[in-house]
Amino acid sequence: MAGNFLAAVGASVLNLCAEVGGILMLLFRVLICLLPPRFDLDETWRNLHKMGVRSVPIIVLTAFFTGGIMVIQAAVFVKKFGATSLVGWGAGYAVFREIGPMLLGLMFSGRVGSNNTAELGTMVVTEQIDGLRALSIDPVRYLIVPRVLSMIVMLFLLTILGDVVAIVGAALFGTVLADVSLASFWVSFSQNVHVADVTHGLIKAAVFGFIVALTSCHFGITVKGGAVGVGRAVNNAVVAAALGIVLSDYLLTYALP
Amino acid sequence: MIHCDGLSLQLTHRPVLSDVTWHIEAGSVWGIIGPPASGKSVLAKTLCGLFTPRQGRLTVDGVDLPGLPEPDRVKVRRKMGMLFQNNALFDFLRVRENVSFPLARQNPEMPHHELVARAQERLRAVGLSGSEEKWPSELSGGMKKRVGIARATICNAPVLIYDEPTAGLDPVTTSKIYDLLTDLRRKHASTVIAISSDIPALRRFVDHILFLHEGRIRYCGPESGLEACQDPVVYQFVRGQTEGPL
Repeated sequence: MAGNFLAAVGASVLNLCAEVGGILMLLFRVLICLLPPRFDLDETWRNLHKMGVRSVPIIVLTAFFTGGIMVIQAAVFVKKFGATSLVGWGAGYAVFREIGPMLLGLMFSGRVGSNNTAELGTMVVTEQIDGLRALSIDPVRYLIVPRVLSMIVMLFLLTILGDVVAIVGAALFGTVLADVSLASFWVSFSQNVHVADVTHGLIKAAVFGFIVALTSCHFGITVKGGAVGVGRAVNNAVVAAALGIVLSDYLLTYALP
Repeated sequence: MIHCDGLSLQLTHRPVLSDVTWHIEAGSVWGIIGPPASGKSVLAKTLCGLFTPRQGRLTVDGVDLPGLPEPDRVKVRRKMGMLFQNNALFDFLRVRENVSFPLARQNPEMPHHELVARAQERLRAVGLSGSEEKWPSELSGGMKKRVGIARATICNAPVLIYDEPTAGLDPVTTSKIYDLLTDLRRKHASTVIAISSDIPALRRFVDHILFLHEGRIRYCGPESGLEACQDPVVYQFVRGQTEGPL
């Protein structure tokens, strides 16, 4: 009984080490392709469009209501203590530094990361990756590097867009639910939120994009076992990305100003 | 042209090829047959350098392929065109782009209009004129095979490997595909290796047969000598008997 338990724990640890090792190996190979940059521009452009432009509606929707939720939660206390001058600052601070990059990162992982894993996994199962290799094309250079770059750039840009929309949402919800005028919201926001708050969140967004990219690509290109394997890989990629986002968020919150 | 000497390969700790010794002369046409999971596709992929054998020697035109690092395998792979079992058409590219893809990669300087013209010419050769702008998902199984063949042959590589060129196709389409492959072989005098489970159709197409069973060669010789082979596995498989070692 105890032996079985230990064996299961050992197998899980070995499996975890293998996955982390695989991700680090992939990172190494991506870096080799980037120094100096040698990757496919057409494929990068296609991914920027697919991952970024097509994510705009869901990001806008998420961000708008995220800003609103921040104000809904605060509205009770704002009314109780008459702290209307803090609403703009509270919403901006929370959205820019934490809620914006975190929620958008998770949303991005669910929409783009899972799609990426499924796409790469299907390419493995249908021998498209072998097809590329048979044509002397390095799949890392042709498929992975453009995806990694696109995800980093696009999550960064989408977070900027999301931040703006979330603040607009917070201002509108504040006006309707907490009787905070737009002018009061703007004064509170502009006087208390600093550039460092914005950059703090944007650095996080870039790191989250990198994490989503690496995990989704790793689990995609290591798929084994047909359609069932693709499903398992998508699941693993989403879980790993979420874990990576939460852990790195914790570390970055300490490390960044 | 291609020489395998004592090739052995393991995948996930399981032997897939054992002591495969096989010599392919330029211009010859080989068929690889054998029961499922006997290592046929793995052998074909090993010849392209997609798998690295654990033991043995593999040379293509005198070049030791497994000894080359991945980036240096380019020159050897350019001598080969391969049709994969699942066709391996890139879903993110249209039919014309799929066909011209190897050409564009090998000749980055080639003008776009020439790439388009070559792809159209090759698609016409496989009977798919008018399908240039379709996506792979819009094609039937036979059409996908033909696009795969067009892509494998567009660079006029001296070695062509077809993995199950007629799998899942009706007899008429099968005959058409083999006629097409014969036509292409005659035009370019290429060396051909074809894997198929459709033994009668394959035997009409090839000069030589390699029979694999559990990663080992059971027969390697002229197609005409297959019937006379007394190996019990080959004997049973070729005659389609239910009684025997298989």
